[in-house]
Order: sequence, then C-alpha cells, then structure tokens
Amino acid sequence: MFSILDTGASGLQAQRIRLDTIAANIANMHTTHGPNGEKTPFRRRYVQFAEGRAGDTSLPGVHVSGVELDQSPFIQKFEPGNKDADENGYVAYPNIDTTVEFVNALDASRAYEANVTMMETAKSMFSSSLRLLA
Amino acid sequence: MFIDRLINETPTQVLEQQLNFTETRQQLLADNIANVDTPGYQQKDLSLDSFQAMLRQKVAMADSSPDGSVSFEDVHAEVENPANGILFHDGNNRSMEQLMTDNAKNALMHNLVVELLRSQYQSLSEALKEKVS
Repeated sequence: MFSILDTGASGLQAQRIRLDTIAANIANMHTTHGPNGEKTPFRRRYVQFAEGRAGDTSLPGVHVSGVELDQSPFIQKFEPGNKDADENGYVAYPNIDTTVEFVNALDASRAYEANVTMMETAKSMFSSSLRLLA
Repeated sequence: MFIDRLINETPTQVLEQQLNFTETRQQLLADNIANVDTPGYQQKDLSLDSFQAMLRQKVAMADSSPDGSVSFEDVHAEVENPANGILFHDGNNRSMEQLMTDNAKNALMHNLVVELLRSQYQSLSEALKEKVS
C-alpha cells in the first residue's frame, strides 16, 4: 500500500519538471542568442509525459519521457535598428506566448496540488490502518 | 481450532476483503491523478458492483456452511476503464471532479471499514479477557 506514495511522488516530480520547463520558457522569452553567441533565438521547450514510473515503467505512475523543442516559427518583429535584424529589418524572437505559458503553469501547479491531496489521503488511510494494531 | 473460528468469522473476512479493495482502488486513483496530463491515458478503476456481487455470493455460501470453512481470499475486483468523462484532444478521458469525489469516498469507506474491523477485534479481545468495557 505504501507504493501509493511513490505514485504520487512520480506525479509531483513530473509536474515539477513541467513547471521548470515553463519557467525556462518565460525566462528566455526575449533571448535572441544561443549560449555560445549563436544568432539563433531560444526555441520553446515542452515536456512529454508517459505512463509508468521513471526507471520502471511497469509500475503505476507517470514520468517525463522527453523535453521536446517546439518547431513552430519564431515571432518576427520589425526592429530595423537592431543589429540582429535581417535584410528586411525583422528580428526573430522566441516562439513563446506568455499566455500559453501561464495557463500551462497554472495547470501544472493544480495538478501538483491534486497529487499532494492524493498523498495526504493515502497517509490518513495508512494511519487509520495502523490504529488496528493499537 | 476454536481461535481460528473466532478470527475467521464471516464479518471479519468481509471487512478484510473490503479493506483490500479500498487500498487497491486508492492505488488506481493515485495513478489516475499522476497521469492527469499524460496524452492517451485511459482512466482506471475497480468495479465496485462486480466486487460486491462476488462478496455477496461468498457470504451466502458461508451462511450455509460451517463457520470458517469458506475462504474469502479469492474475492477480487476487476480493473476496468470507465467511459465517463469527456475525451480531451490529447486522448485522455480525465475528470478531476470525479477523481476527487472518488478519492474522498474511498478514504471514508476505508476509515469506516477500519473502524468496524477495530471494534470486531476489540470485542474479541474483551471476550478473551472476560471483561465488559
């Protein structure tokens, strides 16, 4: 029965990784250069969830199967004065929409709470079962 | 043996199976919650109806045979994929409200069964001690 807590923990971990990814997206929403100075804007990242616990997918739970790059086009902004502008005066900005990120962040934190609730319930069930011994 | 018969009474056995049921169900509910954002995940649940039907059949069998001779060990519930909830674009048929309601119901059921089992054991130990509380 204690494996319920592990299942809940796998959910917590997955949602936290999702929230980390969203935070990275928001932090980089105006990043137009790569880590080594490459002239490529930051690409939006998203997590992919899959059934089964990390390490052993036959166990109940969830795991992050990968962090993928969003291949949608970059946002083009007309900034002729910017030194990164192309010949037409457009600068490519990351393909990040803050509204989408905020909604996803909200969803992730609610799902995190739901997992916590589940673990709380399981804990209260354990303690009532333990009272059988007294 | 005398003590075996006291411990393996029908009510105790029924309660034990019910306790197993709520524990297994809680595991499935936790799995459903963990996978609330997993694309293509189908919700899992235990069939309460088929479990109770099986239990009822066993109780009827136990009533018509000597005490403690019918074992309840093989009573189990089938895992099913309930079709309730809207299917989302990601192929997941989650329903958070339903899950939270089931979670609360299951925990209450568990606590009820534990209390009943506890009073069952309590009366047994009081009978052994020849004392009235």
